[in-house]
Amino acid sequence: MSRFVLFLLFAVSVGYGQEYYFYAAAESDDTVSLISFDGETITEEERIPVGIMKTEIEGPHGLTVDPSGEYWYLSLAHGNPYGSVVKYSTATNRPIDKTTLGMFPASMQISSLTGLLYCVNFNLHGEMKPSSVSVVDPETMTEIKQIQTGVMPHGSRISPNGRFQYSVAMMSGELFEVDALTLEVNRTLSLDKGGKMNHKGMHHSPVKPTWVTPHPTQPKVYVAGNGSNEIIEIDTDLWEITDRIDTGKGPYNIDISSNGKFLVATLKGDAKTLVWEIDKKKQSVVANNSSVTHGVVISPDSKFAFVTVEGVGGEPGLVDVIDIKKAKVVSSLKIGKQAGGIAFWKIEE
Amino acid sequence: MKKFTFYLIVSALLLSSSTMLSQELVVKSNLEGLTMSVGETFKPTSFAENLKGEKTLCQAVIYYNKKGVFSTAKAVTVNRDEGTIRANEPGTHEIVALCIGQQGQRLSRTFPVQVDFPKAKEIKITLSTSKVYEESYIPLDFEVVDEMNFIRKNEFFQLSTDSNNIEIDAFNNVKAISPGKAVLSASFDDISTSLTINVLENPVDKLELKAGLDVARTGDVVNYQAIGYDKEGKIIEDLPFSYTFSGKAVDKSNTASGLIMSDGKFVAEVIGEYLISASIGSRSVSRPLKVVGRGVEREVLKVGKGVVTDKHTSDFWVFEGVDGRDYAVTGTWGADGTSFFWDVTDPADIKKIDSVKVDARTVNDVKVSQDGRISVISREGASDRKNGIIILDVSNPYDVKILSEYTKNLTGGVHNVFIDNDHVYALSGSQKYYVINIKDPKNPVEVGMFEVGKEGQSIHDVWIEDGIAYSSNWRDGVYLVDVGNGIADGSPSNPVAFANYDYATGAHHATFPFKSKSTGKFYTVLGDEIFPDGVDENNPNITAGFLHFVDFSDLDNPVEVAKYELPGQGSHNYWIEDDILYVAMYGGGVRIVDISGDLLGDLYRQGREIGYIMTGTSNAYIPNATMSWGAQLYKGYVFYSDWNSGLGSSKVSELKPDNSKANQYINKTPIID
Repeated sequence: MSRFVLFLLFAVSVGYGQEYYFYAAAESDDTVSLISFDGETITEEERIPVGIMKTEIEGPHGLTVDPSGEYWYLSLAHGNPYGSVVKYSTATNRPIDKTTLGMFPASMQISSLTGLLYCVNFNLHGEMKPSSVSVVDPETMTEIKQIQTGVMPHGSRISPNGRFQYSVAMMSGELFEVDALTLEVNRTLSLDKGGKMNHKGMHHSPVKPTWVTPHPTQPKVYVAGNGSNEIIEIDTDLWEITDRIDTGKGPYNIDISSNGKFLVATLKGDAKTLVWEIDKKKQSVVANNSSVTHGVVISPDSKFAFVTVEGVGGEPGLVDVIDIKKAKVVSSLKIGKQAGGIAFWKIEE
Repeated sequence: MKKFTFYLIVSALLLSSSTMLSQELVVKSNLEGLTMSVGETFKPTSFAENLKGEKTLCQAVIYYNKKGVFSTAKAVTVNRDEGTIRANEPGTHEIVALCIGQQGQRLSRTFPVQVDFPKAKEIKITLSTSKVYEESYIPLDFEVVDEMNFIRKNEFFQLSTDSNNIEIDAFNNVKAISPGKAVLSASFDDISTSLTINVLENPVDKLELKAGLDVARTGDVVNYQAIGYDKEGKIIEDLPFSYTFSGKAVDKSNTASGLIMSDGKFVAEVIGEYLISASIGSRSVSRPLKVVGRGVEREVLKVGKGVVTDKHTSDFWVFEGVDGRDYAVTGTWGADGTSFFWDVTDPADIKKIDSVKVDARTVNDVKVSQDGRISVISREGASDRKNGIIILDVSNPYDVKILSEYTKNLTGGVHNVFIDNDHVYALSGSQKYYVINIKDPKNPVEVGMFEVGKEGQSIHDVWIEDGIAYSSNWRDGVYLVDVGNGIADGSPSNPVAFANYDYATGAHHATFPFKSKSTGKFYTVLGDEIFPDGVDENNPNITAGFLHFVDFSDLDNPVEVAKYELPGQGSHNYWIEDDILYVAMYGGGVRIVDISGDLLGDLYRQGREIGYIMTGTSNAYIPNATMSWGAQLYKGYVFYSDWNSGLGSSKVSELKPDNSKANQYINKTPIID
């Protein structure tokens, strides 16, 4: 009998596999793709044109889905002059509302504690001056505050309890912790060796941090040292660097699996993706199917990493699906040019 | 047992959370019904309450002005350190209280906060005319000055009078009835004032209306001058005449329309019989005006095409090469960073002769130096995100060579560029432009920069002519900047702004300076760029906006006098030469418009169109989908680029349009010749 039940469960699991859904932005095509993956094959479900100016590139960059899964948010890097964040319905993929942010708004995430959206204003327009984190109420789509941080902030990620927002300043080489409730900078940490910090932005960090991701269960955050070719581990209780892990060329974006076992980092300069088993300190490197590897998001079941690859010039952007345990690309999809921002939406049985 | 305890805890948690979620909560706050005075500070307190009136404390409450963080939101500001809000400007403003629940649920509510105007300390009524005559309406201005010196114009005063020679209607219009002194009383906010008006007997015994023309074409500006004479036949000076017109169109289903100005200038849009009138008090004089067709339509012939079949085409430039032949360069959009070079010496046989591919997705703009040796192309979407510009040697357009790449301060992407006298003017991050010396094109050097210097400053284009840079700055309008002209002691390394004009829509994206050959007047022609419905990749896009003609003859007092608006189509790039406008109107093609003579009112409706070119072709990247990008008159040919099809050339013939294909039901209107 028990064998029969097991067989039945197996049959059901084979017949009704999991379907993963996520969004990926194509920065030089002004499109966002809704993509599904059934465990074997990746499919573009819909290509959504974004922006409002047909003859201007508006640059869809960052993506995030709200905790309820009802809405997705897109940062448009370019505007007059400020960029914006647009709220879309996941049911229709139509825009609902929009608000202006700072210069070149990029990555963002919503806090489960406050319900507010925290988006970094990357401002890669040439001037080495401190930029900010925009705090947006996604219900009214109002920018509540711009919190000044460092030069070229990137990689906005929220702590698992929703209380803190982390970002790194690429050119000033700093890690920023923002209190999601008080909307103030709580702590900063220099990521350069020797710990030199310069808020005026005259100092060009050799680390060039481009991303920060909190560990889901431990008091740690991990930073991509794009210039120093390393992942930097920071203990958030001690607020100090506890490890520097050498990687390939140009680690750019990072995600950590929800079970806390795997860290996946895109290696922009190598056109590869790093899969790192955190506890075992075991690294695997996966070659991507095009150049300029950019964004990564891991499925909530910790099985797959979805990686965007920009391409160069007229080449299409790509999404590579990496089986994390096998450290292998198992499917790939062409989308619009300069694929970058990526956000997970849902798993359907 | 352990398992059982675990399930119990989980069940309890689920139950408690579902109970909380099922509660209907509302934010309660002392912000409700709040009225403040300017300068007042208030400490809000807020909490959540369920339908039973049970209070739930918030873990934190975040207050914010619903207008956001920009200067428009300064009317009420939030001090998070103090936990207070401050009223800075009168009006009704919205403050949001966002309650973060103990378990992290968010709940918010918007509260209208009334900030009262300070008490009025003075009210003023002023006459906006020097003389008031019997039987005329009296032009008045109303103003309130409050205790904090805020000024409000045209408030509705309570008007009254005991004088029987003026009348006040329900809308505060005041009419002078008969000569004599009249006292107009006004009150507002418990303050009163009065104005004594001297109503004069109408001294006019006879009126005369002079006109420059009695037969005019549509679009011709006719100057009327009314003259009043007294009983002795003497001219009475400074009479405040009112000018009006009526008319009857030739076309029975049309309306005789036009525009008449307070100084007596009149322009008709439609063929017909008009009557222009000038009045003062109950006296008036009229003069008929016959309006005939402008008769400027000409045959426009398509001559040649350089089709780009695999990508969108952006801007272009036609130039004479060092070998005396004629060439063009075109950019590409949302593609692979390619620019194409064309031999256009025979406009009927446009040949693609070379291409340059750089690391970019969009080469939005392309320009060539006056001597035909150097080209600069802009970059957006470079894979290294450095963007900037590429400088090319085009002395042999059959073999174009990259001389240098320049990215300093231009990493945010360059949308538009211009070359003038060994300097490149390149837009940076849609905020400002940098001036780069390219005397040694392999080693460009930044020498100057211009920015408007306002919050939210933004720029879309820059154009140089006679040492003046015309920058198009969206909501801040056009800035005229001396970069070598000498008018304001400016130079490329020291750009000096000396004039500016902006307009309400804030959609200003391109400028073309225009010195009218026929009138000598100097205009800047300011173009909008508007996509009112956003982008639709699957259907033709709706575009809007028009060209604003601003008379800049007096640099300190520019006046917007006319517009060119094609119904249903928006404007993009354009060219003006010999009092003729060549404007790309996206889906409306390239429109060729007579802009000779004085300009006033709606130029499209005045029948000034000479002809048009629908720039789409059947073998295009997107076939038969006209999307005109820009136009340039070059050696008698109208060259143009089309987003979907590439480069093309046309010729405006001396001949009138061939009528053999005209639909018999088209109402052909009479023209003067």
